[in-house]
Amino acid sequence: MCVGTLIAAVLVLLVGAAACLLPLSNPLRAAIGILSQLVATALVWTMVLPVLLGGEVLVGELAWAYPVGTLRVRLDALGAFFLAWSLPMTLLGGVYALGYLRPYLATRRHVGVHYALLNMTALSFVLVYAGDHALIFLLGWEIAALAAWLLVIWDYTNQKVRFAGFNYLVSTHVGLMFLVAAVMILYTHCGAWDLGSFGTWMQSHPGAERNAVFLLLVTSFGLKSAFFPFHSWLPRAHAAAPAHVSALMSGVIHKAGLYALVRFVWLMGTPDEWMGWFLVAFSACSALVGALYTVGQRDLKRLLGYSSTENVGIAGIGFGVGCLGLSWNNPVLVAVGFTGGLMHVLNHAVFKCQLFYAAGAVYQATHTVDVERLGGLARLMPWTAASFLIGGVAISALPPFNGFASEFTVYAGLFSAQDLPVGARLALYVTGALLAFVGAVSALSITRAFGVAFLGAPRDAAARPPVEASRWMLLPMGLHAVAVVVLGVFPVLGLWMVQGAAGIALASLTGPAVQAAPVALADLAANLSRIGLLAGLLLLVVVLVWAWRAATARGSPAPRSATWACGYAAVSARMQTTGAGFSADFAERFRGVLRLVRRQKAPQGYFPADAWLITDCVDAVEHRLFDVIRHGDASASALSQKLREDDPRYAFAAGLVALVAIAALVLLVGGPLL
Amino acid sequence: MSATVLALSVAHGVLALVLPVVLVGLVNRTKARWAGRVGPGIWQSGWDLLRLLHKKPVYSALSTPLFRAGAYVVLLASALGALIAPMLGAFAPLQFTHDFVLFAYALGLARLFLMVSALDVGSAFEGMGAAREASFSAFAEPALFLLIGALALATGQTSFAALVGTLHASALYPVLVVPVVAALFILLQSEASRVPVDDPLTHLELTMVHEAMVLDHSGPELAATQYAGALKLSTYAGLIAAVLNPFSPLEHPLAALLAALGLLAAVALAVGCVESLRARLRMRQVPRYLLLASLLACLSLAIAGAWGT
Repeated sequence: MCVGTLIAAVLVLLVGAAACLLPLSNPLRAAIGILSQLVATALVWTMVLPVLLGGEVLVGELAWAYPVGTLRVRLDALGAFFLAWSLPMTLLGGVYALGYLRPYLATRRHVGVHYALLNMTALSFVLVYAGDHALIFLLGWEIAALAAWLLVIWDYTNQKVRFAGFNYLVSTHVGLMFLVAAVMILYTHCGAWDLGSFGTWMQSHPGAERNAVFLLLVTSFGLKSAFFPFHSWLPRAHAAAPAHVSALMSGVIHKAGLYALVRFVWLMGTPDEWMGWFLVAFSACSALVGALYTVGQRDLKRLLGYSSTENVGIAGIGFGVGCLGLSWNNPVLVAVGFTGGLMHVLNHAVFKCQLFYAAGAVYQATHTVDVERLGGLARLMPWTAASFLIGGVAISALPPFNGFASEFTVYAGLFSAQDLPVGARLALYVTGALLAFVGAVSALSITRAFGVAFLGAPRDAAARPPVEASRWMLLPMGLHAVAVVVLGVFPVLGLWMVQGAAGIALASLTGPAVQAAPVALADLAANLSRIGLLAGLLLLVVVLVWAWRAATARGSPAPRSATWACGYAAVSARMQTTGAGFSADFAERFRGVLRLVRRQKAPQGYFPADAWLITDCVDAVEHRLFDVIRHGDASASALSQKLREDDPRYAFAAGLVALVAIAALVLLVGGPLL
Repeated sequence: MSATVLALSVAHGVLALVLPVVLVGLVNRTKARWAGRVGPGIWQSGWDLLRLLHKKPVYSALSTPLFRAGAYVVLLASALGALIAPMLGAFAPLQFTHDFVLFAYALGLARLFLMVSALDVGSAFEGMGAAREASFSAFAEPALFLLIGALALATGQTSFAALVGTLHASALYPVLVVPVVAALFILLQSEASRVPVDDPLTHLELTMVHEAMVLDHSGPELAATQYAGALKLSTYAGLIAAVLNPFSPLEHPLAALLAALGLLAAVALAVGCVESLRARLRMRQVPRYLLLASLLACLSLAIAGAWGT
C-alpha cells in the first residue's frame, strides 16, 4: 500500500516531467507541470498525514536484481515532517514561476524543461525522505543536485550565471564524494544497503571508523546545506538563479542536508560527546559568519543566501544540543534540542522562500537587486514590500512571527540544562549569547536591506517606474506570509509537526530518566502557546491602534511636508543613507571576516569632472581559496617573512611552547609509565 | 491567582505606566541641580507628552503608512518588555520559563520598527541614527544573555523575574552584585540612549543616535516613541532595583514595593549624576564601552561557574 502510493506519486511526477517536454504551448506545459505536482502532492499527503498524526511507520519493499537487492522504503515521522512541506513549497515555486517567467511564456524559449526539472526536484524529495536504501537515497540526492544545477543556469547565456552554476555543480559533487565514501565504509561493514543495518553497525562499533564516517557525513551535509566554511558556492548560485529557484534551493532543497544529518545522528543511537560539541561549534560558527556576511551585501539575493548559512547554523545548534542530550542520556536536551532545530528548519523554509519571492518581484520590476540602486519601492509595490517586511521580521527571529517561536525553542535547549557539569553549562550559555548577537546582526541587515531598497525615495530615476508584481507571484508570497503569521501565533502547530520526529530520538534513550521527556515537551508546548498568545495579542493591538489612528486621522488628513534635512532644501535622492553607509560602522569592526573592496575615482583638480566610489563585500573564504590555489607557495613565504628569526619575542614564545609541550608530554606519558 | 499576586500585578502595571515620566523627571532634576538650577518639575515630561498628544502630526512627503504604524509597534513592544521585566523583586506580571528571550526580542522588535520608521523618510541623518542604533544594540545584545547565564548558574531559576529577583538569596550575591549591576547599568545607558552612549539633549544631528531617528516624528507618534524610550529607561532601572531589592515581593509586598521605589529613584539619581559629570564618549569608542558590559557579564559568568555549584 505504502510503496504503491509512493510509486504512483513518483510516476505522476515522471509522466508530468515527460509531458512538459512535449511540443505544446508554453502555458500548457507549465499547467501540466503544476497539475502533476498537485496530484503528486495530494498522493504523498495521503501517506504523510497519518504518520504525522502519530500513526505507524510505513514500510514497503520491492524486490530488485543483484547487487541492488531489496528496495526498502520507510516513511517515519522525520521523513514525513520533511515531505509534508517540501512538496507543497515546490508546487508554490512552480506557481510563482508562472509570473516570474511570464516574459518567456510567449517566446520560443522551452519553459517546459524548467517545469520538468521542478518535477524532478519534487521527485528527489520523495526518494531522499522516504528511501531506506542507500542507493535510493544517493539517487535522490544526485537528482536533486543535477536538477538544481540545471535550474540555476536558466539564464545560461550570461557567463556569470554559467560560472555560478558550475561552481555549484563542483561543490555539490565534492559533497557527494564524501557521502559516497561514508556509504562505502558503512557498506563494507554491513554488507547491506539499508539505513537500518548501517545504524545497527554504528550503534555497536563506536571508535575511529565511526568517527571518520561522522566527519565524512558532516562535511558532505555541510556542503549540501552550505554551512561555513563550505558555503562559498551559495551566494553565487542564489544570486544567479531565478528567484523561485533560489527560494527552493535555499528553503527546501538544501534542507535535505539537515535531514540527512539528523537521520544519521539518530542512526548512531548514542553519539560520542565530542560529536555533539562539534555540531554545536560548527553550527555556531556558521550562524555567526553567515550573519556577519549578510551585513555587507549589496545584492539582495546574495544577502538572503548568506542568511541561509546563518539559519542552518541556528538549526544546527539545536541539533547539536539534541546530540549532546543523546550522548548524556538527557531526555530534556534531546526533546527540546531536536524540536527547536526541526521547527527552525520548517520556519526557515517558510520565510526564506517568501523573502526570495519578494526579491524576485523587485528584480522583475526594476531589473536589479542592488540595494544601492533601489529605494522607495514600498509606495509602488506595497504588497511586495509588506511581504518582505513580514519575512524580514520573521528571519530576524522577532515576535510575533514564526522565526521567534523556533529560536525561542533553540534558546530553551541552550538554557534548560540544569543538571549538567558546569563547563558544559558555561559553553551552552556562551552559545546562547552568541545566538543573541547573531539575532541582532540579522536584524541589522534586514533593516538595512528593507530600509534602503523599499523606503525613502528611488535612488535611480528609472525610465519606467516599477509596478506591483503579478498575481501569480503575489499568491505564493501571500500564502507564505499567512504561514509565517499562523506559525508565529500558533507555534504549537510547528511543535505538533515535529513531535513525532522527536519521539524517534527519545526512543533511543534508556533508563528511568526518559520519563522527563514528556514533561519537558509539555512545558515547551505550554510556553510556546503563551508566546503565541502574546504574539497574537501584540499583533492584534498593533493593528487596532493603527486602524484607530488611521480612522481618527481620516476626517482631516495630516499635512505632509519635506523630510527634515538640517534645513537643507535641495536634497537629492542620492543623498539618502546608502546600504554601505548603514553597515560601515559595524562592518569595519569585523574587517578580518568581511572583506570590503573599494573601487573609486577620487575627484581631482579644481573643477572635478566626475568621481565615484563603489564598495562591495567579497567572500573571504572563496578569496583565500583562490589565493592559496594561485600562489600558495608565495603566501607561505610571505608568512615566514613576517616571522623574523632575530626577533627575541618569537624566540621566547617558541621556547615557552616547547617547554609547555615537554611538560605536557611528561605529565601525560609519565603518569601511565610510572 | 491570590490577592497578593493581583495587587503586585496592579502595582507593577501602575509603576510601568508612571515611572517613565517620573524617572525622566528625576534625571532631569538631578542634572539641573548639578548645573546650579532648580530644574523642571518631576512631571514635566508627562505634560510634554500630553501636549504632543493634542498636536496634529506632520508627515514627511516620502513616508508610507509604516511610518505611523512603526511608532505604535515601538510603544507596544516596549510595553510587552516592561511586563516581563521584574521591577519589585522576584515578580513580574508575565512570568514563564525562558521568558527573558521574549523580553530581549520584544525590545528587538521595538528597535527594528524604530529604525524602519527612521529609514522611511529617506533622510541621511535618520539613516545615520538608525545605523548607529543597529550596531550599538548588536554589541550590547550578548551581555544580557551572558548575565542570564551567570544568574542561572547562581540561582538555578529559569524565568527572568526569578533569575533577577532571587540573586540576593544566593551565596554568591556579595561577589556577583557588583559586575551584574555594573553591566545592567551600561545596558541601561545604551538601551535608554543616555550619556555616555548617547546624549538626549544634543542639538547636532550628526552626533545623535536615538534623537536622530525621531527627527521627523511629530504629534502623537513623537509622544509614543518618546514614551517608549522612557519606558526602556524605567525597565532597565527596574531590573537593577530588582537585583538589589532585599525583600521578596510575595512575602513582604509592601516592604518590597517601598524598597523598589527607593532603589528606582537611586538609579535615576545615578543616571543623572553620570550625565552631569561625564561627557559622552566619542562615537568610535561606544562599542568598546558596550563590550565592557559583555566583559563584566563574562566575569559574572566565570565567577558563578567557578564557585556557584
